[in-house]
Amino acid sequence: MSAPPKPVPLTTVESTETSDSGAQTLTLSVGPQHSGSGHMRLIVEVDGDIIVNVSPDPGYVHRGIEKIIELRNIIKSIPVIERPSIIDASNLNHAWVRSIEEIQGVEVPRRGQYLRTLLNEMNRIMSHLYWLSIYGVFLGHTTMFMWPLGDRELFIDLAEKLTGARITYSYLVPGGVRRDLPPGFAEEAVKRTEYFEKRLKEYDRIFFNNPLFTSRAKGIGVLPKQKAIELGCTGPTLRGSGVDADLRKDEPYAAYPELDFEVSTRPDGDSFSRAMVHMDEMRESCKIIRQIVKKIPSGPIRRKAPIVLPRGVAYGRVESARGECSFYLIGEGGDKPYRARYITGSYRNMAAIPAVLLGSRLADMPTAWWSIDYWPVEADR
Amino acid sequence: MSLSHEREDALVQKLKESFPADIKETNIIRRARLEVTVAPEKIKDVAVFLRDKLGFDHPNGVSAVDYNRENRFEIVYHVSSISIKGMRDLVLDLKESVPRNAPRVGSLVSVWSGVENYERESFEMFGITFEGHPRLEKLFLTDNWDGPPPLRKDIRFPTD
Repeated sequence: MSAPPKPVPLTTVESTETSDSGAQTLTLSVGPQHSGSGHMRLIVEVDGDIIVNVSPDPGYVHRGIEKIIELRNIIKSIPVIERPSIIDASNLNHAWVRSIEEIQGVEVPRRGQYLRTLLNEMNRIMSHLYWLSIYGVFLGHTTMFMWPLGDRELFIDLAEKLTGARITYSYLVPGGVRRDLPPGFAEEAVKRTEYFEKRLKEYDRIFFNNPLFTSRAKGIGVLPKQKAIELGCTGPTLRGSGVDADLRKDEPYAAYPELDFEVSTRPDGDSFSRAMVHMDEMRESCKIIRQIVKKIPSGPIRRKAPIVLPRGVAYGRVESARGECSFYLIGEGGDKPYRARYITGSYRNMAAIPAVLLGSRLADMPTAWWSIDYWPVEADR
Repeated sequence: MSLSHEREDALVQKLKESFPADIKETNIIRRARLEVTVAPEKIKDVAVFLRDKLGFDHPNGVSAVDYNRENRFEIVYHVSSISIKGMRDLVLDLKESVPRNAPRVGSLVSVWSGVENYERESFEMFGITFEGHPRLEKLFLTDNWDGPPPLRKDIRFPTD
């Protein structure tokens, strides 16, 4: 029988403390159940309504995926690797197959690269839409909850046509992809992205240009550029602080070197900047999708890759929706990796949560916190 | 993509010149990926040099690897640069080894503040103590977890 659990430490329940200076602060436990998505907790200490201390407490959805991968064949790991962020499944999958291919020395055919990029960009839009709908919930804006989730179906249906699955595709495999483009896909993709771009203008009208949002987001939760770099932040959180870092440009992989797109940045580092980076990226992704279906080369979609992982080391990384997702992979010649270190965008951006919240008012917490697009399941792995 | 490793060679050269006795091993894995192994007592000096002189301004992560057959842990700091634009694709793995029965190393939080969470994870999952860490507590595991560090190689799954 296991030993009885130890008592819960005091810091995990509401408590008041008196500091040396005589000021009284209140410690609040926000979560693990909260109005956002995914279980995690922030332990917040407030003086009046000013946040003076924040401590993220992740781990409620920790699954030990690094250990699970060590015990499985590299192909059988693919569905597990997608789980931490099912809304961004193909980008995480891409980091995994990229690191395997680095060790194996397998080159992916160009058509395979284009198809990977296609699904990656569709996933980026889907993930950003999911983020936006939860942002709507956090800010009490019901329309902004309903619309993005509805429009997300446009791309979920497209992904289903391409891969056969709506959310978790296991589409990318070492050496290429599983299926080729179905007939009529290009026209459908153009139609849907063009419609979606019109919808984005309506999002601007009802939410992003709305004083109800701008007055709550501008100047709130500022993350200065230097601090964002030092903490190792990544993705939209980093680009919202004015850094034009994007692996799709900085370390071009898959079909990105042949495509025309801009890296979205905003200089201010506040919640509004981070939100607008997400919006810009969805527009860019629509552009990329249309380019891909127009200029996709013909040829094979997959090259035969071995199912063993030779002895070697790789650091494979991609730009996922929430930033850099990477695998530090060590092979020892068998069909299982010796070690697979899995670092995701949310895990890296966890360090930014205290940085953006300190000094804010408690009422600004949802705006600042969710603008980081911190996905608890992805961080816990 | 060029096959020469000029940038990587130049970095290795600079490190070897500055720390002739402390760099144990260097290895260019492939383009934009290199490994540098240093003695644990010197890793902080090398890290400060990487940050201040070579532009490695942020960590991408920290990995701990359990080589139980060789009775050692390896701790790998993956660092990159944003400020030097031509080097953004480069990942340098700064490695150190510690004996498995006495896993104590110095923390690098004072060099790269972003490694705080990763070192905490290595502490709870592998039982490695980082001396000088501002808050060496459990991160993902529950406060009342009293089992062994779960990512070590000798911990097996019941179904394994």
